[in-house]
Amino acid sequence: MRRAIKSQAPEGFIALDNSALIYPPTEAAYNTNTFRISVDLNREVQVEILREAAHELLERCPYAKVRLKKGFFWYYLSPNEEEIPIWEEGSYPAGRFEFKRNQHYLIKIIAGERRIAIECFHALTDGTGALSYLKLLLERYCSLAGIVDAVFTDGLCFTSKSDAHEFSDPFQMLYDRTIRPFPSVSRAYHRKGRGERSEAVKVIRAEVGIKEIKERAKARSLTIGEYLSAVFLMSLQQLQGEQVPVKRKRRPIRLSVPMNLRKVFATETMRNFTLFALIGIDPALGWYTFDEIATQVRLQMAQAAQPKLLLSQIRRNVAGERSAALRFAPTLLKNPLFKLLSDALGDQQYSGVISNLGYVSLPDALSPVVEAMDFHLSPGLVNPVSVAVVGYRDSLAINFTSYHDDDTVLERLFCTFLVEDGIAVSVASNREGM
Amino acid sequence: MAYCVQCGVKLADGAAACPLCNTPVLLPPTVVERKGEPLFAKKLDGPRSSGITKVRKGILELTLSLAVVALIAVGLSLTLSGLGRYSFIPIFSIVMVEATLVASLLAKPSYVRLSSIVLIGAGIYLVGLDLADLTLSWSLIASSALPLLWLFAVAPATKMKKWRIVTLSLIAVLLYLLIINITIAGALTWFVPVALPTMLLFAVLATIFALFLIKRKGTIIPISDVVLATLVVIFVAISGFDLFLTHYQRGFFALRWSKSLLWAALVALLFLLALSCSRRIRRYFTSHIRHS
Repeated sequence: MRRAIKSQAPEGFIALDNSALIYPPTEAAYNTNTFRISVDLNREVQVEILREAAHELLERCPYAKVRLKKGFFWYYLSPNEEEIPIWEEGSYPAGRFEFKRNQHYLIKIIAGERRIAIECFHALTDGTGALSYLKLLLERYCSLAGIVDAVFTDGLCFTSKSDAHEFSDPFQMLYDRTIRPFPSVSRAYHRKGRGERSEAVKVIRAEVGIKEIKERAKARSLTIGEYLSAVFLMSLQQLQGEQVPVKRKRRPIRLSVPMNLRKVFATETMRNFTLFALIGIDPALGWYTFDEIATQVRLQMAQAAQPKLLLSQIRRNVAGERSAALRFAPTLLKNPLFKLLSDALGDQQYSGVISNLGYVSLPDALSPVVEAMDFHLSPGLVNPVSVAVVGYRDSLAINFTSYHDDDTVLERLFCTFLVEDGIAVSVASNREGM
Repeated sequence: MAYCVQCGVKLADGAAACPLCNTPVLLPPTVVERKGEPLFAKKLDGPRSSGITKVRKGILELTLSLAVVALIAVGLSLTLSGLGRYSFIPIFSIVMVEATLVASLLAKPSYVRLSSIVLIGAGIYLVGLDLADLTLSWSLIASSALPLLWLFAVAPATKMKKWRIVTLSLIAVLLYLLIINITIAGALTWFVPVALPTMLLFAVLATIFALFLIKRKGTIIPISDVVLATLVVIFVAISGFDLFLTHYQRGFFALRWSKSLLWAALVALLFLLALSCSRRIRRYFTSHIRHS
């Protein structure tokens, strides 16, 4: 029986948040703008109970119970009264969103044999938001299935009503037109890779021990996320060195590292509230040792996280949205321009994406039920390999997602560096024949 | 559970090869490894691959929206200024350009596909322009040149056999000349007495020289031999054209303006034969290869 849960429902029109504006118009083959977070249980998933849990999740979270609509000037969200379907797990994650088959929802709930996953179109929310939804879904599923009644101390609470904070777009509140906008960035190195590409997202999952990697990172005064970013930069530097032998012709290598701003600006929004730190090195100046890269990453991450610089970045992004030329241009003209300019203003500025969801802790009662956790990010056409990281229990899952059919050189350099640094790595893949 | 001997990473249970370097896993026959669980459900239902990329989609949307704006602007301006009857050509032009662009953007990007689409679009456009006054005249000549262009410029890039392309090209040239003759004169006039024998002469000569060069000793055909043979074929074919044209115009066979070409062809032919028959002459002309 479906239970109606009263909560604050959104109006018929919900404007997209500032960082979500770019995702719907740029959605295309090889630019799916999606990600997946999943949990592996120690027992089989019961689909009907999961359906019930999904219903309760959406009743509690009206912000997720929406569909994407194309307006005359902007895309917008609108309440969705359809029942969300439960998808059977396929072989490839973070693919292109089939809105119609998903009853126009921007989240997709997937059931594997022992896995529950949420795949999310980025226009709805970011990784932290989706993780909150997954935690609540898990809580409801376990409760309805009679496995365990656990309550999360952080994130969404099922018994409380959704409040206005969940719908708020903090970017608009933090916009200050008197601040100098963030400077533009030059084009970075991009590795095209060898061989064919296909739209199926190929995954290589590398698992390492948290204790081991923390120790290696700490030896260089880095956090785990910074250490992995430094390894990624090192691998890209090696690849560019082989590809471009003339030093002065080498382009800067940069990584886009999403930063969760909820703690910085103390907000509980369920929308996208992430900015990207661009950290990198310039190999045209010479070869960087790993320790030099580590120093650069540490300094640049600290600099990028400064609230003043974040506000400057927000100023640049929101000012674009508020400019008259964009506001009054119809979607018909705006969409193709977004598609054509988004690479130059975004993907071309960096050589790869590494997203770290952080360490996920579950309530003690729930922890034995969930065996593993995963996070997958859709790659792009300009940067066809992405890295997504999540920590759970005593292991860290590093998922490399790629459009390359056979080229795994970047992943190999990354993993062999970890092995050479004394970290045991276990790998698995969804590539055929592996 | 195995380790990759190249990368040093631990592999998943039952892995046939290392996903990082593709090194196969070779276990001793005594070791029986348990079958591991796949990373995702093994349905192998690849995602739809019908989509086009972001930039192509952007160009497509931009051209479509600009075409809509252009159609409305042209349609309105001509209607409001009382010149609605002239609106067919500009509107048809916009539609055809847009249709060709859309087809090019949706097709898999390759020289053969894109040039074929553009040539088909151009053909339809030319016929459409000609049909604006509900009669078909000059467009037959213009649009029938396009298949010829396709055979000369696009067919060599396809997987078609070369002899088939050459044969089709000769037939296409003949058909093209036939269409020109019928379109301009309204009946068969110069085609049978002039064009047909000239083309046949050209085809026969080209076949003879091709067979001569292919069947000759040695595997490599020097570029100088190809140039000389081509000159001979073209000069003799032009002389033949002169001969047949004189017969068509004056009623008797004679060479009027092509005698010098025939002499030049004879000299080129002798030179080609000398090069083919005498190794000494060939060496004399290719001595720079030895010196270098």
